[in-house]
Amino acid sequence: MNIQDNYLKNKKNIFFSQNKDIQNHREKLLNVFENDRFDKKNNESLKNINLKNFIDFEYKYLIPDETSVINNNQENSYSIVSVNGHCSSFKDDKIEITKILDEDYNDFSKNDTIDNNDHFVNLNSLFLNSGFKIVIKKNNNIKIKISNIITDDNLTIFQKNNYICEEGSSLNLIEEYENKNNSTSNILNVIKLEKNSQLNHFLIQDNSPNHNLIITSHSSCKKNSIYTQKVYNFSEGYVRNFHYSELVEINSEADLQGIFFLKDDNTSNNKTFVKHLAENCKSNQVYKGILNDHSKATYFSNTHVDQVAQKTEGYQLSKGILLSDNASYFSKPELKIHADDVKCSHGSTIGPIDENAIFYLRSRGMSKIAATKILISSFINEELGSIDNEQMSEIIQKKLVRYLSKVK
Amino acid sequence: MFLEIKDLSVKIENKNILKSLNLNINKGEVHAIMGPNGSGKSTLANVLAGKEDYEILNGKINFKDNDLFDLNIEERAQEGMFLAFQYPVEIPGVNITPFLHSAINSKRKRMNEAEIDNLSFAKLLKSKASDLGINIDMLKRSVNTGFSGGEKKRYEILQMSILDPDLAILDETDSGLDIDALKIVTDGVNKLKTKNNSFLIITHYQKLLDYIKPDYVHVMVNGSIVKSGGSEIASEIEKDGFQKFQ
Ligand SMILES: Nc1ncnc2c1ncn2[C@@H]1O[C@H](COP(=O)(O)OP(=O)(O)O)[C@@H](O)[C@H]1O
Ligand SMILES: [Mg+2]
Repeated sequence: MNIQDNYLKNKKNIFFSQNKDIQNHREKLLNVFENDRFDKKNNESLKNINLKNFIDFEYKYLIPDETSVINNNQENSYSIVSVNGHCSSFKDDKIEITKILDEDYNDFSKNDTIDNNDHFVNLNSLFLNSGFKIVIKKNNNIKIKISNIITDDNLTIFQKNNYICEEGSSLNLIEEYENKNNSTSNILNVIKLEKNSQLNHFLIQDNSPNHNLIITSHSSCKKNSIYTQKVYNFSEGYVRNFHYSELVEINSEADLQGIFFLKDDNTSNNKTFVKHLAENCKSNQVYKGILNDHSKATYFSNTHVDQVAQKTEGYQLSKGILLSDNASYFSKPELKIHADDVKCSHGSTIGPIDENAIFYLRSRGMSKIAATKILISSFINEELGSIDNEQMSEIIQKKLVRYLSKVK
Repeated sequence: MFLEIKDLSVKIENKNILKSLNLNINKGEVHAIMGPNGSGKSTLANVLAGKEDYEILNGKINFKDNDLFDLNIEERAQEGMFLAFQYPVEIPGVNITPFLHSAINSKRKRMNEAEIDNLSFAKLLKSKASDLGINIDMLKRSVNTGFSGGEKKRYEILQMSILDPDLAILDETDSGLDIDALKIVTDGVNKLKTKNNSFLIITHYQKLLDYIKPDYVHVMVNGSIVKSGGSEIASEIEKDGFQKFQ
């Protein structure tokens, strides 16, 4: 079925279909799909994608019976269970959580920075069926853990979340995606950091082989704010991580990092994109991958420096270990600089595990497999060492051990 | 026979490097191999340790009643072979202490000996390190990473004294060491020496042999051993170079 028919058929189950403005916007998007030739060569959002699965899909959505749970278990610490992308509303003097349906859509989508070239974001806008908004109020220091649960097989979740960190607030956000059913989640996070705020965002992705996760984020940072994002992808199913940051005011920072562990014939597509739009800002984009068997990955990184963005520091790095001759990792760093006083760099090293290092370790009596494992762990040593949350560090270690146990 | 190399010919990338090489080493002996650059000394050391890049064209090697070619790299190490590399590789992110600990335990396991626990190992490592004038801080670092040439060589000898091998092959361990470091390192080797273990010392200077007294000296030229004898050969080379052997 084409997108248009699919949309029309399911329209009444999709959010905001009655809203005139939204209608108009969606008509335009449908036109985009209608007229696009799905040029895989020039559209990064289509690389390594089986179009048939993603464009020609069976729409299915269930509003969950179980309402989501929000626990304020310790002071300043909340745990949230989001069910099929839903989260019930909640409010205290530090945070405010609002269901997407309780939102005025115009307000909700006011600052949308939608990329017309990204078909998955367009699908998200077209088929939107869930989501929430979380506001961290001024000067509060909060921890939130969100477990994303999907209740049934073959669901197509189109979820949009808004995060707003008000002035001077600080948020530590851990998101877990661990789904065992054959569903597809297409999630768009729009993240706003006001003056002097900070968000440390961790995404742990560990889905089963038939679960697809498409996650996109658009973050924007105002004066003196810092957004740090760390993605740990252990999924056995397809994952797409596309993350965009805009540094809109001076002295702000964006740090987008990811590590992925692929095996069998799994695929992962990754992209980070930082726009420097003000002076004195810093950005860091680092992705590292370990690929076994027939797995495949792409990583596009981009730094754009506007002409007003003097004294920019921008750094990009991609590294990969190929554990098998049949694995492949395509990485493409890009720099567009329109200011003259900037420090930017990028690097990329992808290749098989260092045979000389293996020989050295084995020549001391270590088995080949033990040597391989120790070298893989050392490859991500820095990333693992920098996790300052003990509980999270344990979770990640466990998943790493599980991945390594399959390496031969 | 402890180590017996018979008629060994080895090739790499269509180039014959070792040519019908013969060498016998008994338990408790110290052998030195001297030879000009490019004569194949490191190739021999690597083939003994099991490096897989080489093509063995011909020959047999017996080590402690095993056909050496039946043992993989780690099994050779666990059986008591040790190679101190000419160019030790840097392995960032792999810490020295747990790596050596796991190495010694895999050897003990093969020998049906009890594993050594964390605490005893830490003690052993510290005492051996201080014998070799190695700073304790260096033990917190990654394998060979950012080490100076001399530090790398010392660190090879530290590993050797921890693993206590039956056959130690030292590939130009003297190069890059100043005279004080050379004394410390050779002291370490001499301390390890018993009548039950053997050494194969590769060098192209005679200097090292002033500190470690070899029982036999072999001259290797162009992939074969062209002359064997006592330490007087080393003096000959010191005086006249390798010219007359070529
Ligand atoms: N990986 C290799 N590929 C091609 N030639 C090699 C390789 N390794 C060593 N050789 C060649 O083999 C010869 C012997 O090298 P080597 O054993 O390192 O000598 P030595 O240790 O006596 O200086 C040299 O001519 C060297 O260029
Ligand atoms: Mg050499």
